[in-house]
Amino acid sequence: MSKTNVWNTLNWGYILLVLIFLYVPLIPPILFSLSGSGGSFSLKDITLRWYTDLWNQSLLITSTRTTLILGMITAVVSPLLGLLATMAVRELRVPRLILMIILLPLFIPGVSMGLATAFFFKQLTINTSYWTIGIVHIVWALPFATLIILTAMTTYDPILTEAAFMLGSNRWRAFYTVELPLIWPGIFGAGLFSVILSFNETLRTSLVQGPLNTVQTYIWSKYLQVGLSPEIYALMSLLIILTLILVGTLIVAQKRVGKTRAA
Amino acid sequence: MLKKNIIRYVLFLIPPVFVAFFLIVPLAFTIVISFWERVGFRVRPAFTLNSYIDFFYGVRLLVLERSFLVSVEATIISLLIAYPIAYFLAARVRTALGRNVLLLFTIPFLVNYIIRTFSWTYLLGRTGPVNEVLVNLGLASSPLDWLLYSDFAVLLGLVTSYMPFMIFPLWLSLSRIDPQMIEASWLLGANPVRSFLKITLPLSVPGIFASVIFGFVGCFGESAVPIILGGVGYQLMGNTITSAMDVLNYPLAAAMSSVVVGSMVLLLLLWYFAFDMRSFLGKILS
Repeated sequence: MSKTNVWNTLNWGYILLVLIFLYVPLIPPILFSLSGSGGSFSLKDITLRWYTDLWNQSLLITSTRTTLILGMITAVVSPLLGLLATMAVRELRVPRLILMIILLPLFIPGVSMGLATAFFFKQLTINTSYWTIGIVHIVWALPFATLIILTAMTTYDPILTEAAFMLGSNRWRAFYTVELPLIWPGIFGAGLFSVILSFNETLRTSLVQGPLNTVQTYIWSKYLQVGLSPEIYALMSLLIILTLILVGTLIVAQKRVGKTRAA
Repeated sequence: MLKKNIIRYVLFLIPPVFVAFFLIVPLAFTIVISFWERVGFRVRPAFTLNSYIDFFYGVRLLVLERSFLVSVEATIISLLIAYPIAYFLAARVRTALGRNVLLLFTIPFLVNYIIRTFSWTYLLGRTGPVNEVLVNLGLASSPLDWLLYSDFAVLLGLVTSYMPFMIFPLWLSLSRIDPQMIEASWLLGANPVRSFLKITLPLSVPGIFASVIFGFVGCFGESAVPIILGGVGYQLMGNTITSAMDVLNYPLAAAMSSVVVGSMVLLLLLWYFAFDMRSFLGKILS
């Protein structure tokens, strides 16, 4: 092997090692959730008991409902705001300032963000509702949604808009009929990414949740109160699998778009 | 025409105003609350420095110090892990392949990090697989206790939670470097190490700074990792803030949170004025 080859192999080995560190934690909850004895795992007593037990937890059923509603709110609103934000970045004269404001939530620790929003709503005497939690999720997902749509927009050639103008479209129509279909995958990706973020958000939510629970805050409060149980492992496994399915969908959708565009 | 333009500008301004109203205003309001007065279990508008005195002249100052140290350590370790990955993927691998590998780093990041952190309590525990392997291989005579509920565990939890996030800004800034500049340095007689130190490293400084901010913000405000992996009584800023909330000491929680946010904003402003954001988001913005 040449020197470069050895070097490359070492690098790939290193990347693999780091990836193992990141992926290994996804496995134990799944093993525990299938284990009949609850504590240790052996192939002899695999059971789905803990999964069926989940259906009996009424608090969990309402938490799931909340999670789904929040996911939908975030999925619709963040890409919409993200789209407007990308246009603002493109058309207004202060792109850096606007981008900085939009990206700010990335730089604020979750605890501080949750706490500040909780104080704020309390002071305005706004009661906790899907919308108050939803707003926190939207603010958290917006920077990611915006970056994804901005990336999709870079592949769009503005000359197409000019062409639409020359063919007599107004600004709105040119956007709606020419640009929007082309950047749609980016908007869809932003929506899916927002759902994933909303599903997996705990800390911010736990500070503004009020009487409502999401699946994640349900797990967190169970952990703080009584510790982890096989049912909780089952629930975590479901979330891990759901997230992986959503990520898979996102990747497949983006790849397909890449192919049709290349063709 | 003018009216139409106004509608456009109003639409464009919705997202920044939304963030300003639901994030910047609440954060500013938190600063206000930090000066309020606590009477029994209630909070009353006032102007008192009590919360800050509580914070800076008590044991919580040690928590601030420890948080700062642990976050700096975790950020440096993460940077040392992330930089070679970002460099290799940006400079030595085809772009498409590099993107796919980056994607592999994103996937576990998207799974709730609290769930991932729970797993480490099993993996690192006395009877967990890591200790089992170490004992069976003869690397340790008995299970190691310091693996879990220790600084080591907290650092590991922080690094695995935030390191993947740090690869991206590094990769963005490294993949922007024109390979011709490096070739030019070779032509001028620099060896690879020298051209890395003189060209690549300085040009990736904006990315390094951005990723350091990402890592540091995450670690400094983190509250779940110290609770899960630090063990009983392990306090970092994040969980100290939430425990102040639990005993309804809102002004104190607000004061500590404001100090954390203040240091973030300071770092951010430094970055904003020191580097052109296009040097890091150039690909996306141009």
